[in-house]
Amino acid sequence: MASLKRSLDSDSLAANISSKIYVRSTKSGKVQKIVREVYLRQDIPCSSRLCQTCPKSAPSDASGKLIPFVLSEAPAGTSSFPQGHYLVPDTNAFLTAMDLFEQDSAFYDVIVPQIVLEELRNRSLPLYNRLISLTKSEDKRFYVFFNEFRLETHVARQEGETVNDRNDRAVRKTVAWYAKHLAGTKAKKVPAVVMLSNDRDNLRKAKQEGIHAFSLAEYVKQLKDGEKLLDMIPDAEDRDDVKDKRPGDSLYPEYFSMSKMMTGVKNGLLHQGIFNVSPYNYLEGSIRVPAFPKALIILGRENINRSVDGDLVVVEVLPKDQWKEPSTQVIEEDAITKNENPDADDAEDVVSAKERKALQEEVKRTHSKTTEGHAQPTARVVGVIKRNWRQYVGHIDQSSVSQSAQQGRKQDTVFVIPMDKKIPKIRLRTRQVAELLGKRILVTIDAWDRSSRNPVGHFVRDLGELETKQAETEALLLEYDVQYRPFPKTVLDCLPKEGHDWRVPQDTNDPGWKDREDLRHLLICSIDPIGCQDIDDALHSRPLPNGNFEVGVHIADVSHFVKPNNAMDTEASIRATSVYLVDKRIDMLPMLLGTDLCSLKPYVERYAFSVIWELTPDANIVSAKFTKSVIKSREAFSYEQAQLRVDDDSQQDDLTKSIRTLMALSKKLKQKRLDAGALSLSSPEVKVQMESETSDPIDVKTKVLLDTMSLVEEFMLLANTSVAGRIYEAFPQTAILRRHGAPPKTNFDELANQLKVKKGLDLSVESSRALADSLDRCVDPKEPFFNTLIRIMATRCMMSAEYFCSGTQAYPEFRHYGLASEIYTHFTSPIRRYADLVAHRQLAAAIEYEPVHPSVRSRGKLEAVCKNINVRHRNAQLAGRASIAYYVGQALRGKATEEDGFVMKIFSNGFVVLVPRFGIESLIRLRDLAEVEPQAAFDAETYTLTTSGSRDVKVELFQKVRVKVTDQKDETTGKRGVKMELVKTY
Amino acid sequence: MASQTHLNLSPAELAYLHASLSLTPPIRPDGRSPTQYRPLSAETGILPGTNGSARICFADGTEAIVGVKAEVEKTRARWDDETIFLEGQEGDEGAEEDKEKEQGGNREWVELTVEIPGQRDDDSGTIFLAQMLSEALLADGAFVERLKINRGWHWKLYLDILLISPPLSYPLPLLSLTTHLALLSTRLPRLKSEGDEDPFFDDDWAAAPHLYPKDRKARPPVTLLVMAVGNNIIFDPAKEELAVADVALAVSVGDSAERTGKTAEDEDMEVDGRKLRLLSIRTVDPPSRLTPPGVPNATNSAYGHAVAGPQQQKMPEARAVESEAVEGVWKAPRGGAKLAVMGALVQKVLERGGVADEVLDALEAVDLS
Repeated sequence: MASLKRSLDSDSLAANISSKIYVRSTKSGKVQKIVREVYLRQDIPCSSRLCQTCPKSAPSDASGKLIPFVLSEAPAGTSSFPQGHYLVPDTNAFLTAMDLFEQDSAFYDVIVPQIVLEELRNRSLPLYNRLISLTKSEDKRFYVFFNEFRLETHVARQEGETVNDRNDRAVRKTVAWYAKHLAGTKAKKVPAVVMLSNDRDNLRKAKQEGIHAFSLAEYVKQLKDGEKLLDMIPDAEDRDDVKDKRPGDSLYPEYFSMSKMMTGVKNGLLHQGIFNVSPYNYLEGSIRVPAFPKALIILGRENINRSVDGDLVVVEVLPKDQWKEPSTQVIEEDAITKNENPDADDAEDVVSAKERKALQEEVKRTHSKTTEGHAQPTARVVGVIKRNWRQYVGHIDQSSVSQSAQQGRKQDTVFVIPMDKKIPKIRLRTRQVAELLGKRILVTIDAWDRSSRNPVGHFVRDLGELETKQAETEALLLEYDVQYRPFPKTVLDCLPKEGHDWRVPQDTNDPGWKDREDLRHLLICSIDPIGCQDIDDALHSRPLPNGNFEVGVHIADVSHFVKPNNAMDTEASIRATSVYLVDKRIDMLPMLLGTDLCSLKPYVERYAFSVIWELTPDANIVSAKFTKSVIKSREAFSYEQAQLRVDDDSQQDDLTKSIRTLMALSKKLKQKRLDAGALSLSSPEVKVQMESETSDPIDVKTKVLLDTMSLVEEFMLLANTSVAGRIYEAFPQTAILRRHGAPPKTNFDELANQLKVKKGLDLSVESSRALADSLDRCVDPKEPFFNTLIRIMATRCMMSAEYFCSGTQAYPEFRHYGLASEIYTHFTSPIRRYADLVAHRQLAAAIEYEPVHPSVRSRGKLEAVCKNINVRHRNAQLAGRASIAYYVGQALRGKATEEDGFVMKIFSNGFVVLVPRFGIESLIRLRDLAEVEPQAAFDAETYTLTTSGSRDVKVELFQKVRVKVTDQKDETTGKRGVKMELVKTY
Repeated sequence: MASQTHLNLSPAELAYLHASLSLTPPIRPDGRSPTQYRPLSAETGILPGTNGSARICFADGTEAIVGVKAEVEKTRARWDDETIFLEGQEGDEGAEEDKEKEQGGNREWVELTVEIPGQRDDDSGTIFLAQMLSEALLADGAFVERLKINRGWHWKLYLDILLISPPLSYPLPLLSLTTHLALLSTRLPRLKSEGDEDPFFDDDWAAAPHLYPKDRKARPPVTLLVMAVGNNIIFDPAKEELAVADVALAVSVGDSAERTGKTAEDEDMEVDGRKLRLLSIRTVDPPSRLTPPGVPNATNSAYGHAVAGPQQQKMPEARAVESEAVEGVWKAPRGGAKLAVMGALVQKVLERGGVADEVLDALEAVDLS
């Protein structure tokens, strides 16, 4: 018998075909053998302007033009390469030090092998996007070289070689080829081709193969301002050393293997969820898992096991004897000295699977009981599925800096305290300690080894001195991931060419007028806060002959200017919302549109999208009409002006009358809403008054509610509800809506119990109506603010409202709990919210004004949009609040005032006081009460804290107290915050 | 079951074949010795997308391709099976129960289809072929044991067996050899997870181990077609030979070197460690049983002898009596195979250093890429 093997040698083109064979495991658990044929070519250019040969064979575009070559003919040199050099970084270099490559001072003429780009995409999408934008920037001269498809640089995986090794080899081969190729150009000064890598093995092999190769640190040292850049490199050597340490040194238990975790999660023995750190106790975290109704508690450093707030982790429920009550103590990281050593957790391994199974049942049983003050199930983290590390703003911990470091430029290890208290201290190595002290800096976390107590990070950028307005604002924007860079040119290119001179065309035959109703004759006005420039909405009303009223809400027609899927639309969808800080506004759309062309300014004609109802005098809707229109606002009122005008009986012009009509109707609408069970919730809102010149804060005022505000609000709600119904009718699967889920009853457990114990009041939470009614009953005749306080606390028990795509939920789930509306969307602020813009497009398509654009019909895309808007929306709110908190602190700077406050939360070693005058809350610790920390007895059942010894005070929940408010710089976060001292209790 | 090769041979030709094959030693039409296989050429790895594949081409022009694809599948757990959750508990009883249960479920882990050009896939002949081939694989459970990943998961194998030439001879030996070779070249991704975790595999195909590792003795089963004419035993009959067979058997043999534990190890030390084991036997109806008996010219009406006499019609049994063995006239074999012949056939197949050994050796020599 003979055997034969068909050989490829007989094929003359065999050298041009290669194949890649690998095993792919799909999400659904399938395992496939994948064979890819790779067709190798020789016309992929090197893209160096020195090269004479490549332009001859390089492919040209459709118009027959060569794609311009990227790499400079005279690249910059370094001390070792005076003749100039091109860089070829490997994946590791980008992963660890992307910030370096974005520097302006160095890192030009970089060749990015395709394999590196692909690997980077698999490892980190954000970094990949940053690299892509680098390759697009013309002045950085980054060139993506398709090494996998070029015959000379293609590398086949060898037997027993790991993918990483193969890819490293591909990079080395690319470097070698470039060196050889450039040598062939016979240029006077042939640039060196230098590989950058932090992988020791890769460097060693490169040296063996005679390739120029440096680690990032070695390379950066050769640059002019190398010293500074050096800090941006995570210490690879350092980490290798750590690995060599004996395993006995590990502080934390090892993570489970990925497959073990996945199996455990599938079998229901382990649970997966997002790890959240308690804002009051950095050693206590919680995790919500689908299996149990309540969150599991994770206590202590070992159990938290190197997870950072926001990470997607897998946890294991601990045996019952380790269950604990949620701590009633406030624990801050700086207050805790060294504690616990890593032992005592081998015990779990002895527990058999059967017992573990039973344990899960126990959790459910315990959860189902109303267990106030009982032990709660605890868990420990056994692995991290996905890190959610980002860049963190912080400052260097003064106390961690050694004396010597403050003088020399020696590398020193310091701690960075992040602004976000939930993030642990980050260990940082830097040579610039002296310069960075007292500054806001941006750092990233690189790794967290089992052997190190704190995560290791590296320095990215310094934002400026602590407590300077610029640094603090930027810090805030970075912390909340707000996109604050100026709009790129591609976005600005999408603006109308006329700029500020754009006008509504006079000729009604103009295409802009197509299907637009001419509403210029109507008496339309807008009512907004003082100084509002981006006027989204305007209103009108007029009596109809039949005794009913015609009411119109006119919204800026942003969708006319922002067409789907162009650069401006993409940018807006990423920004998702405008962010309002005390002294600054970060727009979603470029200024030209937001404050001029779209803004419904008075006395000029503007495009609008109008909702026009016929309402009966009782404010029942007879009919609703949606139309694109052209309007001319008669006046732009501020709330105060409008209020004055309404209240002034001498004003009898038509415009004022129409506002009065609107006012009357809005009151009826509101009453109807409240009857249906809408909640009137509350949050402590204040306004910071600024000095107009320097925009320094001078005073803090609580917001006053005017009837005109509620007028505008009511009609906006009405418009939103009407539009929601209309777009849902037109697009049952893809309408963009907003829902507010009913909060789980358990959310109110604690508040209800507190009210019952302290005030004998009942909180019924069966429906929003019941809740609204019982909130109305929560009054303390002696204390008018008490009701507001309860509303504030109730608000915090609620779920947050979210945008969603109608196809993803069943109709009953559409309900907006807070507004007691069956269906709701956002339509009225397209200038500052992206969701509204999408709703505009959908409504325009629904009324057949324009064809349905695919982007408003694709459910997958809309879901992604909703997800992003929800996150951004939340961040924008948080950023706004943080900004107010910062300015309140600044306004109080150097002043000491006594104010009334209320106890909101009580711990065994402190309590939280809310001061409504400033809308701030702050913790008063026992040790703040007197010089010597007083003894305290905490009664968790009655929420009472009684101190004795150096000071005798009895503090109860909901109690009114007198506090002295001063400002204080918080040493841990570097924030100027408010410090409260208890003066007396009432 | 009939081997459906239809031959246009005259009774005289059949008689001649039968006579020459009955000689000692028999003379085969193509000059082979009784135990000699037809020459073949074989190659593996011809289908890059599969886990294993082979092609075998016999000298007479018949050619077959087999592709093996594997998929990860969840093993169905019995409703009362707690063992999956209980790692440490390893009672003897439980283990035994496991065995039993797997024997039942395992059958579904292999799906085998045969395609013969020009025949419907529900043709009884094709189904019978597929049945014989899968029977050989499943007979002793050693094969499916290899497909087990852990207690919760197993590989499901799809064997696609294609005859790509017209069926010039009964394709069983060809298909079986090709399947054997394809299984030899089959590789499964390397398992990275441990124990009863959900399986997780190495992405490097080069690291994937063979289903039948080269350095181990075990080999997939092979089905041989053997026939007997008179007292002669003939292997790998060509279609003409099969037409005159007294009895034809499909004998599946496996290599049990690994199964029997200690004794096998002892034998490993011998020169040839192979220990053949009989897995299954099927009789194949040779076409000879379907050919009508030869009729002497004297009684053949086609030759002008109008013998439709009333007497003969009255005695229908005369037709049966009519055919006494006549030299040079084909007479189909009647009655079942003799037990002694059957025994001898099986003996011959299992003989150490015999045909089965030779075939397995030859296939082992094929370069597995």
